Amino acid sequence: MNDQMTKYANLEKIMEPKSVAVIGASEKPGKVGNAIMQNYVDVGFQGKLYPVNNNGIDKIMGFKVYKSILDVKSEIDLAVISVPAEIVPKVMEECGKAKAKGIVIVSGGFSEVGNTGIQEKVVSISKKYNIPVIGPNCLGVMDPRARNDTLFLPTFKIDRPKIGGVSFVSQSGSVGSSILDLISSEGFGLARFISYGNAAVVDEVDLLNYLSKDKYTNVIVYYIEGVKRGREFVELAKTATKLKPVVILKGGVTPSGVNAAHSHTASLAGSAQAYEAVFRQFGFVEAETLEDLLYFAKIFDTQPFATGNRIAIITNGGGHGVLATDALYKNGLVLPELSKSTQKELRKSMPPIVNIRLPLDIGGDAGEQRFVAALEALSKDPNVDAIMSITLFQTPGADEKVASSIVEFGSRKEKPLVVVSTGSTYTRSHTNLIESSGVPVYDSPDQAARALAALIKYSRYRKGMIT
Amino acid sequence: MTSLFDYDKAKVLLNKYGIKSIESRYVNNAEDAIRFSKGDDIVLKVLSQKAIHKSKSGLVKLGLKEDQEIRKSYNELSRKASKLKPYKIIAQKMVKNGIEIIIGGSVDVQFGKMVLLGLGGIYVETFRDFAVRLCPINKQDALSMISQLRSKKIIAPDKKSEDMIANLLLKASKMFYNSDFSELDLNPIMLHDGTYDAVDIRLLK
Repeated sequence: MNDQMTKYANLEKIMEPKSVAVIGASEKPGKVGNAIMQNYVDVGFQGKLYPVNNNGIDKIMGFKVYKSILDVKSEIDLAVISVPAEIVPKVMEECGKAKAKGIVIVSGGFSEVGNTGIQEKVVSISKKYNIPVIGPNCLGVMDPRARNDTLFLPTFKIDRPKIGGVSFVSQSGSVGSSILDLISSEGFGLARFISYGNAAVVDEVDLLNYLSKDKYTNVIVYYIEGVKRGREFVELAKTATKLKPVVILKGGVTPSGVNAAHSHTASLAGSAQAYEAVFRQFGFVEAETLEDLLYFAKIFDTQPFATGNRIAIITNGGGHGVLATDALYKNGLVLPELSKSTQKELRKSMPPIVNIRLPLDIGGDAGEQRFVAALEALSKDPNVDAIMSITLFQTPGADEKVASSIVEFGSRKEKPLVVVSTGSTYTRSHTNLIESSGVPVYDSPDQAARALAALIKYSRYRKGMIT
Repeated sequence: MTSLFDYDKAKVLLNKYGIKSIESRYVNNAEDAIRFSKGDDIVLKVLSQKAIHKSKSGLVKLGLKEDQEIRKSYNELSRKASKLKPYKIIAQKMVKNGIEIIIGGSVDVQFGKMVLLGLGGIYVETFRDFAVRLCPINKQDALSMISQLRSKKIIAPDKKSEDMIANLLLKASKMFYNSDFSELDLNPIMLHDGTYDAVDIRLLK
C-alpha cells in the first residue's frame, strides 16, 4: 500500500498544478498539441504554462516555447505529453530529470495497438523517477476548480461542466468526453474528471483510493471496461464505498459459459457475474446505462440517505401520477398509506376536488400554496421515506413561485426529494433553477424511480442492512 | 487438465466442514446394491472422469426399490459405462420429496474464488436463478444471496430455513475457499423435512 500512498499524494499535482509543460505544443490549429494549449488559455489557467517543442518556433499563443522541458529551469508540477509514441520514453526521461511531479500522456500507439514494448518503457521510467503517470491513450484530466484541462477537445465543441461535487473517471476517452458534455447541461457540477486510458501506471485502484479521500468529491462515477488488480480493487472498495457512493458502469459484459467449464457453477458464473458479484458485495452502485450515470450522480450528490422504500408522489397531472406509481413498483419501491394526521392536515389545506391519498394529485390548477402544503405535510409523515414531486410546468398554476418553493423545501434535506418535470423551453428554465439549487430533476418518472431505488439500496448498505 | 475428485473423499471433506451428504456407497455388483437398499428406494450413478453430465447421458437411475429393478439397472449402467473406463458405480439412498438447490464454487481470473447459490437440479441452467459472491463471505452476504433469488420464497419460506441455507452456504464457501479446488458443484442439495442432504458432489481440480 506504500506505493499507492505516494501516488495518492502526487495526484494532487496532476489535478491542481501550479505549472504545466505541454510537450508537443503546436502552433498549428487542428493538432492535438494546439488544442491542449488553446484549452489552457480558454479555461483561464492561472499557473505557469510552458509549451515545449523543438521545431524552432519561438512563441505559441504568446507563450515562450522551450526546446526541451530541461530548458524550463523552474518547478514543473505537470507535464502533458502529446508526441508520437516512439519518442515518449525519451521525453519522459527528460521529465524525470526536470523533476516534473506528474505526467499525463495523451498520445496513443501503445498496448492498445499491440505496442506493449513502449508501454513497458513508460512503466519503468515512471518507476525510476517515481512519477505518477495518467494514460497513455487517454484524454487526461480536467479540474474546473483548478482550471486545469488537458483535454484535446476544443472548448467550442464540448461544453465544460461547472464546479461541483461529482468526480468522473473513465477508462474510455469517448465515453468520458460525451458524458462530460452532457454533465455540463445538467444542474450538478464536476469535482474532477480523469480519463486514464491504458492505465499503464495509475489505474482504477489508485484512482478509487485518491477520489474516495478527496475532500471535493461527494460522488465517484466510474466507467470501466476491466479491472487490472481485482483483489486490490475489492480490498480498497470495502473502505471506499463506505466513505462515499461509487457509481459504476462496466462496459464489455462478456457472455458467461466459459469453454473450459466442467461444472454447472463455472458455466453459470462467468466474468460478467463476477463483476456483478463484486459490485453488489462491496457496495458499488451499479449503473446499467450511460444515462444511469447521470441520473444516479445527481441524486447522490445532493440528497440525504433513506433506508425505507416508501415513496410519496405529489403530482399536478393525473397521468403522470399513474406512470410514476408504475415506475415505483417496477423498481421495488412502494406507495404508502398516509398517516391519519397527514390525511387530516391535507384535507384542511386542499380543495374538495383533491383526493387525499397517494399519488396525491393536487390538480392541474395547483399553485405555490398547494405544493408547499403538500410538501410540508408529506415530509412530516412517518410513513413516507422519500418524496417525488411531479411538477409539470405546462399547467396554469405552475410557475417560478412553485419552482422557488421546491428549492426552498429541498434545501432542508429532511427526506430525499426528487422532481419529475417533462417539457422543453419554459420547463427547462425552471428545472435548471431547481436542479442547480440542489434538487435533482428528471424528465420521466421512470428515471426518478431508478435513481431513488439506487439511493435507497446504497443507504441500506451504508447502514449495514441486507440489500 | 481438470480432474474429478473421488466421491468418497469429497464426502469426508464435506463432513469435516459440517456439511451433510446423503448416505451412499460404491457398489461392485447388483447384489451389493440390493444389500445397500435394504428395501429403501435408491439411486444408482456412474462416476467417471469422462462423463460430466451424468443425467443427460443416461448414467443415473432413480427410484429403484425391487431387487429385479436394481439388478436390471445395475447391468444397464455397467454396460453403458464400459466406454467410460475407469468408472465406479455408486448407490445412494433416495430423497423423494424436496426442493433442489445448488451451491457451487468457481475461480474468476480477475477476482479469484467465488461462491454460488441457486435454484438447483437439472433445470439450473434453464432458470438461471442464482446469486454469486466473492469468497470469503459473511452471514450478511449469505442472507443477501438468498434474498437476491427469485425463488427465495420457494427455497427459504421461513426464517428457520433461511438460516439453515445461510449456514450451509457459509460452510461450503469456507471449504471451497480453503481448498485448492477450482470448481465445486453441490447439485442438487435436497431440502426436505427441515433439513438437507447433499445428493451430488462434484469437486474439480
